[in-house]
Amino acid sequence: MKDPQEALAAARAAAAGTREEEATPWSLEDGTVSTRRLAEWAMIQPETARVYSTRRLGRPITAVKRLLVRMLRQYIGQMSAQQSRFNAQVAAHVMRLEQRVAELEEAARDRDQPPA
Amino acid sequence: MRVDQILCAAGPVDGVTGQALAYRRLLRGWGWQGEDYAPVQAAGMPGGAVRPLHQLRPARAEVLVVHYSGYAPGLAGLVAAARRSLLVSHNVTPAHYFWASDPAEAVRCQLGRAQLGELASLAGALAAVSEFNAADLRSLAGREVSVIPVLFDRRGLPDSRPHRTSSPTVLFVGRLTPHKRQDLVIRAFARWRTREPDARLVLVGTPLSPDFAATLAGLAAELAPGAVAFESGLSAGQLWERYRAADAFLCLSEHEGFCIPLLEAFHFGLPVIARDTGAVGEVIGEAGVLVDGDDGVGTVAELLGIVVSDGELRAELRVRAERRLAQFAHDAVGVRLREQLAMMAAS
Repeated sequence: MKDPQEALAAARAAAAGTREEEATPWSLEDGTVSTRRLAEWAMIQPETARVYSTRRLGRPITAVKRLLVRMLRQYIGQMSAQQSRFNAQVAAHVMRLEQRVAELEEAARDRDQPPA
Repeated sequence: MRVDQILCAAGPVDGVTGQALAYRRLLRGWGWQGEDYAPVQAAGMPGGAVRPLHQLRPARAEVLVVHYSGYAPGLAGLVAAARRSLLVSHNVTPAHYFWASDPAEAVRCQLGRAQLGELASLAGALAAVSEFNAADLRSLAGREVSVIPVLFDRRGLPDSRPHRTSSPTVLFVGRLTPHKRQDLVIRAFARWRTREPDARLVLVGTPLSPDFAATLAGLAAELAPGAVAFESGLSAGQLWERYRAADAFLCLSEHEGFCIPLLEAFHFGLPVIARDTGAVGEVIGEAGVLVDGDDGVGTVAELLGIVVSDGELRAELRVRAERRLAQFAHDAVGVRLREQLAMMAAS
């Protein structure tokens, strides 16, 4: 065949009704982060394995960077703890607000319901 | 005439950096002066190609061109101080694609979107690299936005003579990020591979994060074990070899402000199957096969089989791709850019 539209029509006809055609979500869901995920992220744990060089022949640079991280571990530990404490407080605050909103919504529903 | 350019960030394999440097070659060819500046530069940028942003004196140039692709602090003051400024939007990816996988990137995108609106109100003239981006910028700025397409300079590329391997190979080139939907590419490829067990998929691109790369690698290992290669940090020569070794280019991105790899695939004579979202449809025109929101991975898998095996269709798509590339050629885009800049300088 010579026409791309013809190719598309042939492909659609061949795929019609197959499991794969119907099962895969084509668009991504809304990317809102759940509070549980937020809480997981709150406690940060920097990994030395993720310190590396993207340059060609970067192995010695990676080694130097990891050595620096090791030498600065006391400072990095303090900084991580400080950041985690803040993150955890924010996550907990969001959870409390979420709970409060749920309680208020429930109360509003009860109030709006006509008496039996 | 002096035209200075600002990039939000510069990198050796960054498409926007490539565009700014291509503009610079054009400007120099016309005998115009100027320098290019960026607040941050990735490793591997050739020394002196782009200068640190703090060295820019915005009032020095007749026109300051801002290539906008993401948040960079301090741009508003520079645009406000310029004698004339042209804001070129290369698109900012919507933040919602990143909240779940990389919140810091999501915050940068959110800030970038707000900054784009602010700069649009300050800049003398507005432009975008696609009609899709132009429409977006028009809705933010409420005024005219011209389209200056991506300048695709084929002179630096090797010829398109294929160097095919014995295994049919599908290629996609783009950063590994949620909106590029490499997960769908893997699913469609895996479906097709049930009939082509020797088939290979090559995904070229730097991952958003190690976690995201691991998620995609896990999906590939589950659906097409041993058949999917993830590659990043390739030199230009190595990238061109991947195009030459491929049999089809598959792009199922959910959001694209332009997608230069589509033009690269055209150059190397690859049949392109792509999803009609963002600017993809206007870039491809009739030179590829466009699937839409009602199609699924089953249709894409069937299409892979057709475009890889049908010689007549491949030949037709190559002819159409050559015609399409002419619209992004040096001369065609150069004329539009020169008109825009000359008009601004004269005002």
